[in-house]
Amino acid sequence: MSSQSIPGARFVDPKILSRIGNLELMARTVVEGFINGLHRAPFFGASIDFAEHRGYVAGDDIRRVDWRLFARTDRFYVKQYEADTNTNLTILMDVSKSMAFASRGIPKLEYGSFVAACLGYLAQRQRDRVGIITFDQDIVTHVPPSAKHFNVVLHTLDRAKPERAGNLPIPLNKMAEHFKRRGIVVLISDFYEEPDAVLDAIKPLKFLGNDLIVFHVLDPAEIDFGYDDASSFEDLESGEQIPVVPQSLAKEYRELVRAHIDALQTKFSEHRIDYTLLNTGEPLDRALFSYLSSRERLMRVR
Amino acid sequence: MTFLTPLFLVGLGAIAIPVLVHLIQREKKRVVQFPSLMFVRRIPYQSVRRRRIRHWFLLLLRTAAIALIVLAFARPFVNRSAATAVAAQGARDIVILLDQSASMGYGDHFEKAKDAARKIVRGMAADDRATLVLFAKNAEENMRATSDRARLEGAIDAAKVTSGATRYGPALKLADSILSRSPMKRREAVLVSDFQKSGWSGSEDAKFPEGMSLATVSVASPDTANLAVPSLTFGRTHFASQERVVVTAGLTNKGDAPMKDVPVSLTVDGHELETVKATVPPRTSTSVSFQAFTLAGPNVQGFVTAGSDPMPADNTFHFVLTPSEPVSILVVDNGNPDSSLYLSKALSIGTAPTFQVDVMPAARVASGSFDKRAVVVLNDTMFPPAAAGGVLKRYVERGGGLLVVTGDHTTWPTQEMDLLPGRLGPAVDRTDGLPGSLGYLDYSHQVFELFKAPRSGDFSAAHVFRYRTVDVTEGDRVLARYDDGAVAAAERKVGQGRVVVWTSTLDDSFTDIGVKPVFLPLVHQMVRYLARYEQPASWYTVGQVLDVAQRAKGRTDRIVVTPSGARVAQGGKGLVELSEQGVYELRSVSGGATARPESIAVNIDPVESDLAPLDTRELVAAVTGHANPESAEPAMAEQLTREEIEKRQGLWWYLLLGGVGLLAVETLIANRLSRGERFL
Repeated sequence: MSSQSIPGARFVDPKILSRIGNLELMARTVVEGFINGLHRAPFFGASIDFAEHRGYVAGDDIRRVDWRLFARTDRFYVKQYEADTNTNLTILMDVSKSMAFASRGIPKLEYGSFVAACLGYLAQRQRDRVGIITFDQDIVTHVPPSAKHFNVVLHTLDRAKPERAGNLPIPLNKMAEHFKRRGIVVLISDFYEEPDAVLDAIKPLKFLGNDLIVFHVLDPAEIDFGYDDASSFEDLESGEQIPVVPQSLAKEYRELVRAHIDALQTKFSEHRIDYTLLNTGEPLDRALFSYLSSRERLMRVR
Repeated sequence: MTFLTPLFLVGLGAIAIPVLVHLIQREKKRVVQFPSLMFVRRIPYQSVRRRRIRHWFLLLLRTAAIALIVLAFARPFVNRSAATAVAAQGARDIVILLDQSASMGYGDHFEKAKDAARKIVRGMAADDRATLVLFAKNAEENMRATSDRARLEGAIDAAKVTSGATRYGPALKLADSILSRSPMKRREAVLVSDFQKSGWSGSEDAKFPEGMSLATVSVASPDTANLAVPSLTFGRTHFASQERVVVTAGLTNKGDAPMKDVPVSLTVDGHELETVKATVPPRTSTSVSFQAFTLAGPNVQGFVTAGSDPMPADNTFHFVLTPSEPVSILVVDNGNPDSSLYLSKALSIGTAPTFQVDVMPAARVASGSFDKRAVVVLNDTMFPPAAAGGVLKRYVERGGGLLVVTGDHTTWPTQEMDLLPGRLGPAVDRTDGLPGSLGYLDYSHQVFELFKAPRSGDFSAAHVFRYRTVDVTEGDRVLARYDDGAVAAAERKVGQGRVVVWTSTLDDSFTDIGVKPVFLPLVHQMVRYLARYEQPASWYTVGQVLDVAQRAKGRTDRIVVTPSGARVAQGGKGLVELSEQGVYELRSVSGGATARPESIAVNIDPVESDLAPLDTRELVAAVTGHANPESAEPAMAEQLTREEIEKRQGLWWYLLLGGVGLLAVETLIANRLSRGERFL
């Protein structure tokens, strides 16, 4: 899907967005442009829609009793709606040094920040509580979800600096202990871990009943390995250098990366975790579209 | 091999560069930061393999390329001798003169000569060309100028020793002619021979112009042993109307060692008649006589063989003998028996030929008396009546010989005047004062040719007291004059015959020449001349030309069979060069099987037996005009500086091209190999 096929795509070019500098303004630009570009917005307002009737039990608010149904059936039924409550959206943002990588466009961390800001903005629009946790090999920043924390979230994203190497299991295990209430958890990372290790680290979050949405952010160079000259490649996190002849390695590297992505996708889908691969060279709305489409499918199934 | 700029050879140290590049892995300065090397690390990494050389061929190519380029900068050149330096100056035109004379049959001389010729051919550069000239007495362009070595070697292989004598002059002149036409600047003749001294007289007009060089390759052996039969003599005696022949063979030892008890055998018509032992001291000659044998018929073939040595060709001497036929002479005199005494006595002596003399007074001569006479002598007599009316003239015109000896009795009819050389005049008396003598002799004439050499006959000792004058007319040839200028002898040719007038007598009335030593040979010579007598040759020498037409005697169905068996149809015409040793035969195609063919014995030139070598420097000096043979080489090479030699050779250019070519090949191969590599 090209950027031209999506209305409003001109507003979501990562390079252009990176010039805005204000995450809120950026998020609003993306989301408003994205929503306005669609002919309809069937995914919103569902929370006030009728979902089903259930029998009245003591303690229920008598205002929710469907009196018309009582008149027909002479029984008390309570109307139940889909979004009868606001949810928590917690963004888990990987700020390890590998996220600082950028081959041509913007760094992965910045791209992930855009995604996080946009999702936060969407959530904030529907009065959900938004929080953020940044981590590398440990938790760096923790902003608990709150209806008032959107600006703090944006501020946290803005200040996030990749300084240390990453280690997914340790911070995620710690986080799992903090999530006491069900909500939506968005994990944004480049996942330079073995798929099994990644899954093992994420599973605890899922066990608490959270909706887990995973964004796998990769730079085009990480996927295509489009290098020509033989060079010494330095690991951003460990500092290790390896001489590499890209022409000799590229094919095999691409196969390994593809296998890694496929493995992640397979394992996440086995555990009903939404997985979206984000290429920092592609427009931002692709991530949103992909995310929201998957959410809609899940809702229909449910 | 030397170098113009040897300091550049220091650059050969650069050969170590590929090795170091192979063995020392230097990290690339450029560092690419990458998020994680998790996947890169999983790919098998082969940097360890850099520490050992895997592609020796590539390393060899690289080092060879660097070495070639460095050598090119050092400007190498080959500092060869002057002769070989010249070889690098362009294509050569070579004429190989290969001696195939009979003397080359000595031992392995000819094989050595052919090997030398092959070596010359194999030493030719690609653009050189060579001409093969085979020579003996004459030179023949056997293989025209070509660069095809195989053809040249094939021609050399096919060359054979002939029976010809050695003559360097024709070969050198032919080489001069070939090289003069050559467009190439470098022209060389190479003479491969045993360099017999007899082959070069020094008077040959063979001289190379400047720019042509002559090299010599001698195959002569330092010590030669050679016994030869150079000639035979035949002593003929007549006994009981048969001719008996005693053969005497000359033997020559050309070596430095004596030849002892050498068997010398005589073979006649296939039968070995006798073998005698002979001893020949070194560098001397001797003779061996065999017992007489009867010459049964014409064309008796025979040969004498003496011993065996490395050169067998001259150990055998062939001959063909035919019984001699007497010359029939009719002496017509005036009836006085004394007038023909001296003449008949002189003609009675003679073996080759023998003379059959019939003396007859003029009055008794009949018209048929002249038949089958080779010579008619009118000895101081009147003109025979029977000879009048053109009878004698017709005899002469048919080829007969007529000797007119004038004296007081000589008369000559006017109507027969056209038969006599000149007009006959009166007698002149020289008895007063000093007698006359023969003052002029035409030594160029066949009659007097025998006396041409000094001390070969003193005619001045003969006194002439009286003679008849003869006024020779135009067309007659005066053969001799007296001291007063009067004609002593004159000749006229009539038809096919000859008429000679001798103006004095051949007895003691007019002159005393009859008692002088020159009388006998003079009479014999005159009679032989008039009878057109030719001594039948018992052998010819290789190289002589045989007049088949004369031998065929008008018959056109003759063929010539060479000693090797080849048949040459001549049809009774033409000349045949006798090029082989042995016996030629003239056969009649229509003749019966019993007809004995006419045979001609041919022997090699006796000088071929003399293997004394010539100083090749003398030959080269005479031909090239340079006393020092080496100076006959083009002088350019001596004057060339190192820079000029290097520039002419231009080896650096090839080395550089070779180096660049190797680098190109190395690049191609390295690219192909590196596609399958995963290491830096």
